[in-house]
Amino acid sequence: MNKPALNIEDIKKIIPQRFPFLMIDRVIEASPEKVVALKNVSVNEHFFQGHFPDEKVMPGVLITEAMAQTGIVLYRQKFDTNKTLFLVSVKARFYKSVCPGDQLSIEATPVKFLSKMGIFKAVATVGNDKVAEAEIAFGTQDAKAV
Amino acid sequence: MADVRKEVLEIVATVIEKTPDQIPPDAHLVQDIGADSMMALEILAALEKKFKIVIPEEKLKDLTTLNKIVELAESSLKKGKKS
Repeated sequence: MNKPALNIEDIKKIIPQRFPFLMIDRVIEASPEKVVALKNVSVNEHFFQGHFPDEKVMPGVLITEAMAQTGIVLYRQKFDTNKTLFLVSVKARFYKSVCPGDQLSIEATPVKFLSKMGIFKAVATVGNDKVAEAEIAFGTQDAKAV
Repeated sequence: MADVRKEVLEIVATVIEKTPDQIPPDAHLVQDIGADSMMALEILAALEKKFKIVIPEEKLKDLTTLNKIVELAESSLKKGKKS
């Protein structure tokens, strides 16, 4: 297998989230125009304990979180800042459920990035199936003062 | 150019979740209508998509009223569409 664009240690240098909230495992493509990240969904994920006890489905909000974290990596390809980025709005649609054993592939592309905020589009797939897509807006805490 | 105004008003109203008649042309979108800079970013992105123009970051602070947004959209359209 080719060397990933970013391994987990590289990812941890970019995004501040940690266990149990680090939702991407590997970045296989990283440029200011596009980032593709992978999330391997294991049956041992903590959220499967309760979601649901008898039917294990990855919560849509956590797919959204994986998209948001991919978006941080995308943003950081263009802007070198350590400021924490906050979610502002999410327009999402979920098509199929994500289960233990699935490998989520998340592709994020910019819609409009400014220095303190941005909007990007993310598409999550498992194999050839699109499982979710979203348009996500985010900003730094001081963005509101612009 | 009347269409530009109508389309801009539609975009602004959708983003800030108001009806078009709640947005007077010279009202300050932040101070009078309750928008914020993140909404300005959404308006900017929607304008770029709708009119196929590119609006630079430094123009964001000028998008304070509907009239100013219409002016910006019209002048960007005159300068030519992005390839």
